[in-house]
Amino acid sequence: MTAALLHPLLADKCPAMSDAAPPSDEALVDATLGGDDAAFAELVRRHKRRVFGAAARFARNDHQLDDIAQEVFIRAFKNLQNFRRDAPFEHWLARVTVSACYDFLRKERKHRETAPLDAIDFDLSDSSVERAIAASRAREVLAWAMQHLKADEQLILTLCEIEERPVREVAELTGWSESNVKVRAFRARHALRRIFEDHAHES
Amino acid sequence: MPTNPDSNLDRLLRAARDETPDTSRFEFAFETRVMARLREERSASVFTWSWKLAPFFAALAIAAGLWSRTPTAKADSLAGLVAEASRGSEAAALVHFLTGEP
Repeated sequence: MTAALLHPLLADKCPAMSDAAPPSDEALVDATLGGDDAAFAELVRRHKRRVFGAAARFARNDHQLDDIAQEVFIRAFKNLQNFRRDAPFEHWLARVTVSACYDFLRKERKHRETAPLDAIDFDLSDSSVERAIAASRAREVLAWAMQHLKADEQLILTLCEIEERPVREVAELTGWSESNVKVRAFRARHALRRIFEDHAHES
Repeated sequence: MPTNPDSNLDRLLRAARDETPDTSRFEFAFETRVMARLREERSASVFTWSWKLAPFFAALAIAAGLWSRTPTAKADSLAGLVAEASRGSEAAALVHFLTGEP
């Protein structure tokens, strides 16, 4: 099936789409840099699911999720000329995504209102872990605890612990050295645990 | 049941990992929204730049106006022209033309 059949509307607007095979991401990047907006729309269509998946780990609500995802693609569009073809486009986009999420966390930390502690009845040392998991509240409980962490701690925990990315990949995504990533991950995990413990003592 | 906080934290993180949020409703027509925002930002940036440059051009216009009204500036430019014109015969004609003398 040709790209034109897959995307008949785009084939008219975007010369890169009129080839027999679906155009590569790099071809779409070139077309976008040449002023073809339809090519960029096609790039967004291709990669939006992955970006939304990553952004959902950081956003606290639907509004934030949409904002982060849009910010990622706006930044990608503005910095497209910096995309070097030494790695696939999706790797470059992943770095843009992490950067946008990190900036979002830093900005959000300044304006954030922490949810009331009473809303979360949780203790790492007892069966409330079981209850949270059984009630599909693990994300909610973690999101509450994460709110008390610094932006870099939230980022590193999400990438290393929740998404289980290898240290080397996290280092590439964040621009931090591998040893720095390890140290930050260790400290962030320690800080997370201490938040749960403090909460257990308070309640 | 494990009561070690570290292993419980691991289990919590694993459970959070498994809870994949459904983002499909946000993905609908997302590219349209992104492109609309891009167009909006482009037009906004042109507008913003024109406003940013407005004080510069206003200051430039005021400075040019003030300079042209300064008597020393007028006198200097006229004296320079006269001195330059008086060096040659064509220049002398230019002086006569400018001064109105025969």
